Amino acid sequence: MATEQHADRVSPALELRGLIKDFSTGLRGLKLRAVDRLDLRVEAGQVYGLLGPNGSGKSTTIKMILGLLAPTAGHCEVFGVASTCVEARREVGYLPESPYFYRYLTGRELVRFYAELGGLHGKALAERVAEVIATVGLTAAADRRIETYSKGMLQRIGLAQAIVHHPRLLILDEPTAGVDPVGAAAITELILSLKAQGKTVLITSHLLGQIEDICDRVAILDRGRLMLEGAVRELVGRADRQALLVPTLPAAELQELRAWLESRGHTLEMVAAPKARLDQIFLDCVGKKK
Amino acid sequence: MKSKGLTLLLAIVSLVVAGAGLGKFVEPVWRATREAEPALRLDSAAAAAGQGVTLALLGGFRALVADASWVRMYVAWEARDLPATETLLGLVTTLDPRPVYFWLNSARIMAYDFPAWRIETAGGFTAVSPAIQAKFKQQQGEAALQQIDRAMRYHPLSADLWVERANIQLNQLKDLAGAAESYRRAWQQPRAPYFAARLHGELLRRAGRSAEALAWLVKLHPELPTNDEGAGGPVVLGRIRDLERELAVPANNRYQPAR
Amino acid sequence: MMTRVTFSLRRTRLIAFNTVREAARQKLYGFVGVLAAAFVLGARSLRDFNFGAPELKFLADCGFGVMAFFGAALVITATAQLFFSEIENRTVLTLLAKPVWRAEFILGKFIGLAFVAGVFCTVVTLLLIQVLASREAQLLRDFPEASGLGAFVSYSNVIFAGVLQWLKLAVLAAFTLLVASFAQTQLFTVVTGFFILVIGHLQYLAQDAYARGGSWLGRGMSGLIATAFPNFQLFALADGLNVGEALPWWHVARVALYALGYIGVACGLAVVSFRQREI
Ligand SMILES: Nc1ncnc2c1ncn2[C@@H]1O[C@H](COP(=O)(O)OP(=O)(O)O)[C@@H](O)[C@H]1O
Ligand SMILES: [Mg+2]
Repeated sequence: MATEQHADRVSPALELRGLIKDFSTGLRGLKLRAVDRLDLRVEAGQVYGLLGPNGSGKSTTIKMILGLLAPTAGHCEVFGVASTCVEARREVGYLPESPYFYRYLTGRELVRFYAELGGLHGKALAERVAEVIATVGLTAAADRRIETYSKGMLQRIGLAQAIVHHPRLLILDEPTAGVDPVGAAAITELILSLKAQGKTVLITSHLLGQIEDICDRVAILDRGRLMLEGAVRELVGRADRQALLVPTLPAAELQELRAWLESRGHTLEMVAAPKARLDQIFLDCVGKKK
Repeated sequence: MKSKGLTLLLAIVSLVVAGAGLGKFVEPVWRATREAEPALRLDSAAAAAGQGVTLALLGGFRALVADASWVRMYVAWEARDLPATETLLGLVTTLDPRPVYFWLNSARIMAYDFPAWRIETAGGFTAVSPAIQAKFKQQQGEAALQQIDRAMRYHPLSADLWVERANIQLNQLKDLAGAAESYRRAWQQPRAPYFAARLHGELLRRAGRSAEALAWLVKLHPELPTNDEGAGGPVVLGRIRDLERELAVPANNRYQPAR
Repeated sequence: MMTRVTFSLRRTRLIAFNTVREAARQKLYGFVGVLAAAFVLGARSLRDFNFGAPELKFLADCGFGVMAFFGAALVITATAQLFFSEIENRTVLTLLAKPVWRAEFILGKFIGLAFVAGVFCTVVTLLLIQVLASREAQLLRDFPEASGLGAFVSYSNVIFAGVLQWLKLAVLAAFTLLVASFAQTQLFTVVTGFFILVIGHLQYLAQDAYARGGSWLGRGMSGLIATAFPNFQLFALADGLNVGEALPWWHVARVALYALGYIGVACGLAVVSFRQREI
């Protein structure tokens, strides 16, 4: 026990070293390099964003982390256990991109199936299944067949199966793709609550804005290569600039302010009306109706 | 790429090694199955090919095709189409020689129906001379015996086949000695009918071999169970007395039943 | 440092159960079952002739023909479909992202499929026994003299034949699963499955060709087919005997072990090949 805790403290949630993945494209052994010498380290407890355009190798990287694909070269560990071992999957919950589940099962049967595979049984099983279904807000639809679920519901049942066995690391591949803003906001909230529980979350998206609010750190991939990596605050925050928000000033007062600033050797660089974000307006409208 | 080739090699090698061992293990069962089923031999499978049979063999539907051919045989039989009936009889018994029923009925059709059809085709029972009629019966009877000989290769212990053989020898070939011998062979098989033994004796007598007939019945009588009416103990004893009278056996030499 | 995740029969059973549940909820497989049952029951009304023993033989042959035909179609398509539905619906991703061995996945699939085939064979065999028994009773009433020939049907043989059919279908499922483990498409798997079925029924010809000798290449080819493929004709050994004498049980036992041997090898290879599969 003691050694295990010790191991956890030293080993990060995820560590990728020199990871390479080549796909042979059939003709004459031509190779396509989907992931190119990728080094990444995700500390436990972080929400980590893996960003990049379509085809930049995000999903491929995740599949290697989960042992679904064998790396062409390099090494990949989850909490210090190599991804090639089944043991590495004990602490991982995974939501694939555009998930599509056993159509013939009901939501509850599906989550139960994955929970049992994850090692839950007995009384804890039914309780935990009901609990995660409630967490993702599908209690009312839990006994309907999955073939009747909408895209957003599929995504949520996918989240339920990913978290049901209490994994310490969650890997979410495009969790908000194709989901309406309400659903996306709910998923965002869920990710933040998972972070509050001390879970590590690896999330991918090609919608960069969405990620900004929830991630501690991000990595940006392009054509399989790591382009940029760092803490979000450091990357987007600008320490040498500030925005002030005041009620709209009459032209004369604005002129006065400008003069006051100039007298102190500053310039007023920009005056603009702040725009409300459309998604926020949407959420306010829909939220009020509920 | 390299590991894929290796896997393929491993797959083939392990299938071949395991298959060789398993084949050896199951060999006695296979030998027995195959002896019972000539359709599993290459020559007869090839012979039957071209009759829509090859396809059925592929899927293992031999018995079903045999049944269907049997039904088709009846259609040809009703139309008194001799060549078609003969072909289908051969096909059915090749495809599924396991039911004795097919053999018995095909032999009966060959022995009794075919000569009648040939006589009719030749002009009818009144127009065709008795010599020709006898020739037809002789030829078809012999063909039927050959059919029964083939049957016996698959059913060496069938009393029914020997009885059928005897009946044909008696009725169509007028071969008393041959029929008598066939009844005797029938009696040697398991679960043989009692009448086969009685008929052996009767035919010996009719063939003018009364002494042999008496010896046979005297030997037979004590073997017959008394609690089975069909065994016909009293009938046999009656025949023994008839023969003793016929042969003028002295009273002190007459057969004394043990019971 | 981490406790090991060992091969678990519980998870294998779960995957098997899920496979059966998926098959059970698809109307297609239920339809195949109903169709097979209809053929067995319908065979009674097809009878053209009323001769006693051969009619019962006809009914039995129909029953086993239906079991062989629909059974093979059911097993090949179900194996391919239930395997590729996991790949195409990408459920295999979430499944293998849990602590699950790939061997558990393959064995679970196999056990589930063998169970489906078992249910199919049991239903058809029981229906067949019912049909044979009721017709036999009728014949004995109408033609009491026929009873002198002894019992018409050997029911132990009918049951043996049903068990052997099931074993054959299980071997077929294992081989189809082996193909599926590396195949890229469902269609390829189905077509190859049917080829295996046909080759298995003709395997004995390769045995003969091998025994007869011939050219080096010919012997090599026939030897390869004669060993790498199971002899499916063996599994029909009780079919024709339902009107005759009882089959010795050790024949059935030997063939059962033979089937288990092939199932073991095919499943083992499927695991090896599936472990290398990129998902
Ligand atoms: N199984 C595969 N075979 C061949 N190429 C693939 C395969 N999977 C992904 N790729 C290629 O690898 C690249 C990276 O894909 P992916 O990881 O799915 O990107 P992302 O998830 O960032 O959109 C793409 O060019 C894609 O076409
Ligand atoms: Mg992707």
